[in-house]
Amino acid sequence: MNHRGGLALIRSTWLSWMQYRSFFFILAFGWMVPPLVAMFVWMAAAGNGNVGGIERSAFIAYYLVLILVNQLTYSQTNWTVGDIIREGSLNHWLIRPLSPLYQILSSEIAGKVVYLIFTIPIVLILVVLLKPQFTFSLNHFVIFWIALFLAWALRFLWGLWIAMLAFWATRADALLALQDSMIFIFSGMIAPVAILPGALQKIAEFLPFRYMVGFPVEIMTANLTSQQILIGITIQSVWLSIAALSSWIVWRKGLFRYSAIGG
Amino acid sequence: MASIISVKDVSKTYRVPQREAGLRAALSSLTKPQFLEVEAVKSITFSINPGEMVALIGPNGAGKTTTLKMLTGLLQPTSGQISVNGYIPGKRGNDFLSQISIVLGNKSQMLWDIPPLDTFQVLGEIYRIPKEILRQRIDEMVALLDMFEILRKPVRNLSLGERMKCELVASLLHQPKVLFLDEPTLGLDISVQNRLRSFILEYNLRYQATILLTSHYMADIERLCNRVLLIHHGDLLYDGALKGLSSLLTNSKIIRLTLSEQQSEQQSTAWLPEGAEIIERNHHNFTLRVNRSRTAAITAELLKHLPVSDLSVEEPALEAVIDRVYQDGAL
Repeated sequence: MNHRGGLALIRSTWLSWMQYRSFFFILAFGWMVPPLVAMFVWMAAAGNGNVGGIERSAFIAYYLVLILVNQLTYSQTNWTVGDIIREGSLNHWLIRPLSPLYQILSSEIAGKVVYLIFTIPIVLILVVLLKPQFTFSLNHFVIFWIALFLAWALRFLWGLWIAMLAFWATRADALLALQDSMIFIFSGMIAPVAILPGALQKIAEFLPFRYMVGFPVEIMTANLTSQQILIGITIQSVWLSIAALSSWIVWRKGLFRYSAIGG
Repeated sequence: MASIISVKDVSKTYRVPQREAGLRAALSSLTKPQFLEVEAVKSITFSINPGEMVALIGPNGAGKTTTLKMLTGLLQPTSGQISVNGYIPGKRGNDFLSQISIVLGNKSQMLWDIPPLDTFQVLGEIYRIPKEILRQRIDEMVALLDMFEILRKPVRNLSLGERMKCELVASLLHQPKVLFLDEPTLGLDISVQNRLRSFILEYNLRYQATILLTSHYMADIERLCNRVLLIHHGDLLYDGALKGLSSLLTNSKIIRLTLSEQQSEQQSTAWLPEGAEIIERNHHNFTLRVNRSRTAAITAELLKHLPVSDLSVEEPALEAVIDRVYQDGAL
């Protein structure tokens, strides 16, 4: 592995993207809107009481953490992978002695840094204005970061294998839009999974989407029991393994096809 | 001398999905896709010695880029063996990739939004070039290409010629032993073309690099390459010196002729002596290709039968020679 090259690539990608800060800020704002809307709806619904045992200030805490988690796990890179395959820029990746994974990761990491410059101040302002109520232990705080990393890896790799279907189909990114819709419904964005109606909740707990966004948020804000956390991390890890394996297979097969038919 | 590039019986066949126009055909292609096998390269064999500069020429779609892509490992050959610098390109090993470079004239490898210097530095890290050496190499090439003032401008603000200079520098930073250039002078003005040619020549002399280039500009080839490989419809038609190619083909001479009266289409074919062929016509200026041995006889006939106001006999230009091969598909 060539970490030196990888780091230089991250730095230069970041420099490129800082040229377009405002564009990325607008994207980041767009991603923030659905959870913000959901937050205001649930704040109103809770009023001075609660919905499904969640109080108004707990909703605020849940959604402010969710906005950050959503931003950190959102993989905008996957939207560009298809173009890179279709337009033949992949050739430039393939003739360098550096794994293409670095190219993808560099835009992923550089993107996160650019977005957070925008998102963190906004969330801080909202914290000051809305005064959410946080109750988490140190243990939860530590596990949150682990779950967050797994959530990012899962969301990234899940989107990656879908994006790489571009080796076969020209508009594979339509499936990425579908993934975004599924995330909106099942990840805890439209409502915390705990208050989804019965059947939907069961489905959400089984599908991978909750483990891309909602699960780490719940660790920070919903006082999950050790058992709930353990089950969650297990399901998350299983889906992550499936996503990683799928990405690997699709990449190998896709590359084989690419080098057979040309870019 | 052991060859650095060896290509043996290499073929490449693409399977291209094929369908008729129309909705019904589009639907049936979903269930029963039809494929057409296209032989882009048909069993070609050649080898190149270290330090050689060789041109790969042929009309569009002849198989030149396919060949370059197979040599760089971007495409797998359907059959045959390729060895470049002792490696099998298709395996795309890092050792192999560190010793080659390819410049695709129509695709940029530069990072678009930041100055070239930043891209160079990233490449320096990717190829693990020590900082001091990287700086020396950049300085040296920047001086040769006279591009100091563009190093700090974002690449998107550069002209095509300036970008091409950057592409060349970017692909030579790690001093590849083998360099592939796919139409490096495409769309550039004459003086940039000249500068790039001198630069490529200089690089070849200094580092004994092996260079294989494709180009449609004969000037590139005449200036840079002692040897040409002519590919047409995937076949290797000619492998040898450029001079050899023209003498092989110039069994003909060119007669330029200006008539004092305008000839109608019908008349112009009627007066054409045997063994002469019109290759260009512009009002009453005609360019004829004639058999070398019949030149004198045809000239006499033309002067006798036509109101000639001017006539000259010339050697065919290389471009015209190549054009004929491209049209006829054979030597």
